[in-house]
Amino acid sequence: MESLELLMGGFATALQPGNLLFALIGCTLGTLIGVLPGIGPAAGTAILIPIAMAISPTSAIIMLAAIYYGAMYGGTITSVLINTPGEAASAVTCLDGYAMAKQGRAGAALAVAAIGSFVGGTVAVGGLVLVALPLTRFALRFGPPEFFALMIVGLSLVTGLAGRSLVRALLSAILGLMIAQVGIDPVMGAPRFTFGHVELMDGFGIVPVVMGVFGIGEILFNVEAGAMAVFSPQISRLMPSRADLDASKWPIVRGTVVGFLMGLIPGVGAIVPTFVSYAMEKRLSKTPERFGTGMIEGVAGPETANNAYANAALIPLFTLGIPGSPTTAILMGAFMMNGLVPGPMLFKEHGEFAWAVIASLYIGNIILVILNLPLIPLWVKFLKIPYGILMAIVFGFSVIGVYSLNSSVFDIGIMLGFGIIGYAFRKMDIPLAPMILTFVLGPLMERGLRQSLEMSQGDISILVTRPLSATLLVIATLVIVSSMFRAFSAVKGDTEV
Amino acid sequence: MTMRRPYQIAGSLFLLMAVLVGWQSLTMKFYTHLGPGPGFFPFWLAVALGVVSIVMIAQSTFGPSEPMPADFRPTRGGVLRMATVVVTLAATAALLEPLGFRLTMFAALLFLLAALGRQVWFVTVLIAAAGSFGAFQVFDGWLRVALPTGVFGL
Repeated sequence: MESLELLMGGFATALQPGNLLFALIGCTLGTLIGVLPGIGPAAGTAILIPIAMAISPTSAIIMLAAIYYGAMYGGTITSVLINTPGEAASAVTCLDGYAMAKQGRAGAALAVAAIGSFVGGTVAVGGLVLVALPLTRFALRFGPPEFFALMIVGLSLVTGLAGRSLVRALLSAILGLMIAQVGIDPVMGAPRFTFGHVELMDGFGIVPVVMGVFGIGEILFNVEAGAMAVFSPQISRLMPSRADLDASKWPIVRGTVVGFLMGLIPGVGAIVPTFVSYAMEKRLSKTPERFGTGMIEGVAGPETANNAYANAALIPLFTLGIPGSPTTAILMGAFMMNGLVPGPMLFKEHGEFAWAVIASLYIGNIILVILNLPLIPLWVKFLKIPYGILMAIVFGFSVIGVYSLNSSVFDIGIMLGFGIIGYAFRKMDIPLAPMILTFVLGPLMERGLRQSLEMSQGDISILVTRPLSATLLVIATLVIVSSMFRAFSAVKGDTEV
Repeated sequence: MTMRRPYQIAGSLFLLMAVLVGWQSLTMKFYTHLGPGPGFFPFWLAVALGVVSIVMIAQSTFGPSEPMPADFRPTRGGVLRMATVVVTLAATAALLEPLGFRLTMFAALLFLLAALGRQVWFVTVLIAAAGSFGAFQVFDGWLRVALPTGVFGL
């Protein structure tokens, strides 16, 4: 009941014309980012942080969150129409969505995806409303040892589930933590790895690093591959038939459950629930052999799971301060730039803000379904933008975005350096997500550990003698051991095959 | 062709980085009477990086190798296109404050679009102008995001 009252208060703020306008702008830009291949949601969100800095914190986060889940909607359009996922989570939609498009049923595929996304997203936000207060009250009992253990759980999930190789995921995660070491140390105030550069005293900024790794890295990867194609897809009838809706009903329900549950676990990544949903639909189908030939269930399930995941992934961010993906890590960075720290204290100290953003998620889902159904032909037109022009746009936005935060050209240099790293990591198949997540979580984790050890006067057993932190560390250990077991099994399997 | 050699080289570079970071961290306070010092965390991270790098080298040397993707080695054209972006970005960083946002970005976008965009000249000029003079008006003029004007006031 209390949550509902607070949510109503949140709606009162989110429905103010200014906030409503920024939710609309965010949804539009997010859809555009999702539509345009070559700009992922992480880079797209980071690019627009400078605009967000120029407006009020509530409007800024409403807009950035709308960009985040708007990109999830938008990514579907390219998957269905040109067999190219606008963002990774829509990759599985290519299988049946593109097959439907070739049969002239692109409109039905996109409409069902939009409806499923709306249902999944709305239910997941409902879950956020229900668990937000109990979870934050529980988390308020956390001291530094519990907080440190929680960060370890977050990191263990990230490294265990990211990418195809555990070793490469671990490398990426450790590098992220190392990058986070640069700057003034959080407890004693001593400079670390600054090499005399005053600009490095505050450490690497989130925006230059993310823009480099995802924005410039992506540009380098695409121009190297010569990705300059222009697409001219055609769509016919937009509305799905009665049979399409009947066939999509249960996949939408199942996709919502899968996406929501997986969104609660940091580090799963948006791509996993979509594949799980697809596999589930295929297994439950009476005609599994027809999957891949244009089955609407293969679009409805994964697309619903995708958006349920995107919205549910905000639960660990809002309530515990753990970002589950690079994009939510950037959102966390945007929170912090506005002087707001996601986690249990957010609801206590800035409750009005937190509930306004949650209410805006509902509004955003409605805006997106309105934007997506009738405006699909308009989005298709954007696909005709040649990559050369798109690249120039990303280039310009990246420079403005990175420079304007600190009025520093040094940050542009950092973005370039991380762009080259991002390109190299892509080439080497080293996952980028663990690096960005640990980069954001690193300082919080270090502070948690060092404050714990100060509390215990250097006795490390404080981490295992307190029941909550011990439980969390056991969970982290189980996750790491199971990940290693899975990795070894995979290697053994490969060798045997 | 396999990925054995690239992963051996990458693992060695990460190992070298681990040694350098570990060595640097030992020049900082490792432990104080209050608990861990500034060098504590980086030191253990360097150890972890070193261990994982060695595992990577060992896996790539003694384990089964992944096949090298066909497009792993960039073509000459690919390298040139990447170099165009890198040099343009570096030049933008160097000239942004002396020349100002509008002139620098106009030149950078003009060059990028001419080199990689394959557009007719007036489209190239139009986009470069929109991305420089237009973007300045939007960000600096309307959104109050400060952008440099340089010696020419542009």
